[in-house]
Amino acid sequence: MNKVISIHLHGVAFQLEEGGYDALRAYLDNAARQLDGNPDKTEIIADIETAIADKFTGRLTAGRNVVLTAEVEAVIAEIGPITNDSDSASNDKAAAKSNAGPEPTPTSSNQPRPPKRLYRIKEGAMLSGVCNGLAAYLGIDVTLLRLVVAILIFVSAGTVAIAYFVAVIIIPKAETPEQKAAATGPSQTADDFVRMAREGYYEGIKSFPDRQARREWKRRFKRDMRDWKYNFQWQPPTPPNVSNPAGTCPASSAFPVATPLLSILKALLLFAFWFVIFSLITTHAVFGIHLPWGLPFWVGIILAVLAYRAAVAPVKALRRSYYYRQQGRPYYWNPFAALSQGLLTLFILAVFIFLADHFFSGFHQALLGLPDCLRNIVETIQQWWDGR
Amino acid sequence: MSLDDKFSALRKGLLEFLLLKIIAADKVYVADILRQLSGTEFATQEGTLYPLLSKMRRESLVDYEWQESEAGPPRKYYKLTAKGRDQLGDLSTYWNKIHSTVKGLGP
Repeated sequence: MNKVISIHLHGVAFQLEEGGYDALRAYLDNAARQLDGNPDKTEIIADIETAIADKFTGRLTAGRNVVLTAEVEAVIAEIGPITNDSDSASNDKAAAKSNAGPEPTPTSSNQPRPPKRLYRIKEGAMLSGVCNGLAAYLGIDVTLLRLVVAILIFVSAGTVAIAYFVAVIIIPKAETPEQKAAATGPSQTADDFVRMAREGYYEGIKSFPDRQARREWKRRFKRDMRDWKYNFQWQPPTPPNVSNPAGTCPASSAFPVATPLLSILKALLLFAFWFVIFSLITTHAVFGIHLPWGLPFWVGIILAVLAYRAAVAPVKALRRSYYYRQQGRPYYWNPFAALSQGLLTLFILAVFIFLADHFFSGFHQALLGLPDCLRNIVETIQQWWDGR
Repeated sequence: MSLDDKFSALRKGLLEFLLLKIIAADKVYVADILRQLSGTEFATQEGTLYPLLSKMRRESLVDYEWQESEAGPPRKYYKLTAKGRDQLGDLSTYWNKIHSTVKGLGP
């Protein structure tokens, strides 16, 4: 299994195996070093990149859109080392007085992109990667999709759950690098950004009156582009700006009790949340106040959920950042930590419900009434749906 | 030391002359040039050719134009300028002189 990295060579998108990307990166960096001081450096590198793109295209077939490391190495060997002409530096005068040749026209950026396919993606999956794959396929946020699916399972009384398991069976899992690349498509944000910037660049280049200015513009653009792509794709797991990782958090040493305090705050919020839900279900009112505008109580529940999420999200983020700070690690999102935290929360919740059920008869009654209550919700939604 | 090594400087120096000859015959792009040179003593690679061609363009010996290709991005087709043609004439004369000198000396 190999990671695949998307690149552009003069408007043409390619997907390289990670090793191949490294080799190409090293080759082009070395070429740039070799050509330092050469007035045509940018252009020569552009030519070389085009030649590489040509050779890559020649090696790819319809069913295969990832360039393997060995192929990248073979292409680099074919192109050969860059030999700079030692007398190039003394030719600046010639360059200055040479009449402006035709400017390179933009190569077509609407090259056919590798087709996207629907796969299950196990990396970062919750259960089997159906939501993950579908989100990648549709280009939407996976958390949003999971939320929608969870709500649909609930609303459709399990029909969607059955559809989910059917999907697990019939949608193949992305296993080879090619399949993974096809499942996610080209790394969209990076490549789209680069393409858009490139288009802007070609628009911009027309406005420069003289060759020297255009050349400077080109050179800077190229360099910025390289740096940007490099930083974007090779973001190390620990971001370099350790000094201020979560944005506005002061050092935790000043607030040694911050983490437990935030935990207590979060627990209080959770308790308030469950009290609101509980009272909504049992009395259809919060703290004795009925919902305004005659809203059905299940709308109140949804609003309470949203309000709780909104209130708890910053507390969670703060707490996490403090926690990682105390560990001496910079804060970054860790899906596994989030998952285990979620499981822990569910477990604690289950214990609470069990105890409450055991010791409070009111809660027990409410729990017994829950199936009816859920049926009511479903029916209300169905009526609303039919009545549209 | 192999023959190749002995004449490597010579071959390197002659490459520009050969490029002028090839480009004089027809408008070509780099893959054409590589093909014509492959199999000869002057077989070379893009990594050498592009810097050399761009230097020759800076010296106004050659120029290029973009042409669409049936597959892939547009290509640079190189052609000689008037100055390049003059240069080619001078170099051919000079090369013939060298050739006759080599022949005329020794056994």
